[in-house]
Amino acid sequence: MTEISRRSFNLLAGASLATLSTPLFAPSVLGQAKPRLVVVGGGPGGATVARYVTKDSAGAIDVTLIEPLKNFTTCFFSNLYVGGFRDLKSLRHNYDKVRKGGVNVVPVMASSIDRDRKQVWLAGGSRVPYDRLVVAPGIDLKWDSVPGYSEAAAQIMPHAWKPGAQTELLVKKLNALKDGDQIVMVAPPNPFRCPPGPYERASMFAHVLKKKGYKKSRIVIIDPKPTFSKQAIFMEGWEKHYPGVIEWQDPKMHGGIKSVDPKTGEIKTDLSTYKAALANVIPAQMAGKIARDAGLADQSGYCPIDPESMKSKVDTNIFVVGDAAIPGDMPKSAFSANSQAKVAAMIIRAELTQSRAFPARYSNTCWSLIAPDDDIKIGASYEPGEGKIKQTTGFVSQKGEPADVRKQNYKESVDWYNGIVADVFG
Amino acid sequence: MMPKAMAGQVWARRQIRYRLFAAATTFVLIVGGLPAAYGIDVELGRYLSSECMTCHGTAKADSTIPNIFGLGQTRFVAAIKAYRDKALPNPVMQTIASRLSDDDIAALALYFQTAKKPK
Repeated sequence: MTEISRRSFNLLAGASLATLSTPLFAPSVLGQAKPRLVVVGGGPGGATVARYVTKDSAGAIDVTLIEPLKNFTTCFFSNLYVGGFRDLKSLRHNYDKVRKGGVNVVPVMASSIDRDRKQVWLAGGSRVPYDRLVVAPGIDLKWDSVPGYSEAAAQIMPHAWKPGAQTELLVKKLNALKDGDQIVMVAPPNPFRCPPGPYERASMFAHVLKKKGYKKSRIVIIDPKPTFSKQAIFMEGWEKHYPGVIEWQDPKMHGGIKSVDPKTGEIKTDLSTYKAALANVIPAQMAGKIARDAGLADQSGYCPIDPESMKSKVDTNIFVVGDAAIPGDMPKSAFSANSQAKVAAMIIRAELTQSRAFPARYSNTCWSLIAPDDDIKIGASYEPGEGKIKQTTGFVSQKGEPADVRKQNYKESVDWYNGIVADVFG
Repeated sequence: MMPKAMAGQVWARRQIRYRLFAAATTFVLIVGGLPAAYGIDVELGRYLSSECMTCHGTAKADSTIPNIFGLGQTRFVAAIKAYRDKALPNPVMQTIASRLSDDDIAALALYFQTAKKPK
């Protein structure tokens, strides 16, 4: 059995997984000098908590971030890669600056959480003790939520709802389409990561078809939801830029999704059977496995939290931020995760160093690109209320807005991306 | 010992210098906004600033999202209040500013006046 403390980890910075699994570490008493925060998951939620606690506590808290990926590819802005507006490299970020800022980054998969002993087990058999734990694993996909779909089927019908290889596969298939080929998207049910995401993606599909000069290809969205985020303005944009190309079907129209077949490329609904040259099947979602295995999730598959602190309602030593949490009125987005992380960081620091705590405040904005220089946005402020994170004010782009407003939105979204990735990864 | 008349002239010169200094100091304090530091909750400003960092941390001269590091308190306060009053147009900033009290804005202004942009 091996235990990682800050001192021992620093001695072994850059150590391999094999090294980490060997019993080289000092006893846990070394780690007792400072309170210990461990963060599982280095996305917009987890990495933000790690960086803010480290920075604001000025070394008073020993912060460890457990994230197996050397480079994190952001899911946010990946639709712009689909549309050809960015390359994949621009979405990749490493942890060099997180590490330089004083966070112990452990490049290993966390396998489980022992809540009784307050420790995280790593894939190699090591364990990391904590005083406070932040769980930010993002989402897992419910493969069986779409009949016929599976992890294997995703290699033919990509979901591309987790960044990296799946997004590359989706783009490869998109670029291989011939004029007249049909794209079918199966949209996910609520609640899911990035509510406007499927509809921005359909816009990007249409943009690529238009750019290729294709006249005969069509996009069908089969949606289990009766409405979707920014619906009126998306539909206005589709009619303006891609008339007759995108057909959105609500459950009343398609009658229910019966099955998908990766061998034939067929998607069956009550209404019809569609033959897809590109099928983008985005299934239902839930909190990442490690959170569910630790008993932090409820029947919904997501983790209930205290809106005043982002603390788990199940375990007062654990915080859940980002897509794995039940965020009340907030959408599951990188912006939300980053915002929730700052509340959690402030509360954790207050609990571990007796610094001041302030009332929780949250915010979010989601930008979506419909066509070049035609970008729409939705956003809100949130505070604890009625036992949840409750929206207090908000806004959404309007139909018929001037082109310069939409163009400015796009520039703003690019500036926001640069800002948030610097805030998350340094 | 200094003659009485000369001592009076020195005293008068000192008075003039003192008044000029006091006037200049008052001018600097008002223009620079330093009196606003009195009673402002610096820790609150630091916490509230984390919301701004999501977008403003890498702002450049040509960014749609402006740089707010080193911005004078007077300008900062005027801008945020203008967003709060919807006199400036961006809905993202209008929404963020709508829940900021005068004390919140003062705390943020003090923080960003001296805060260094992250490298």
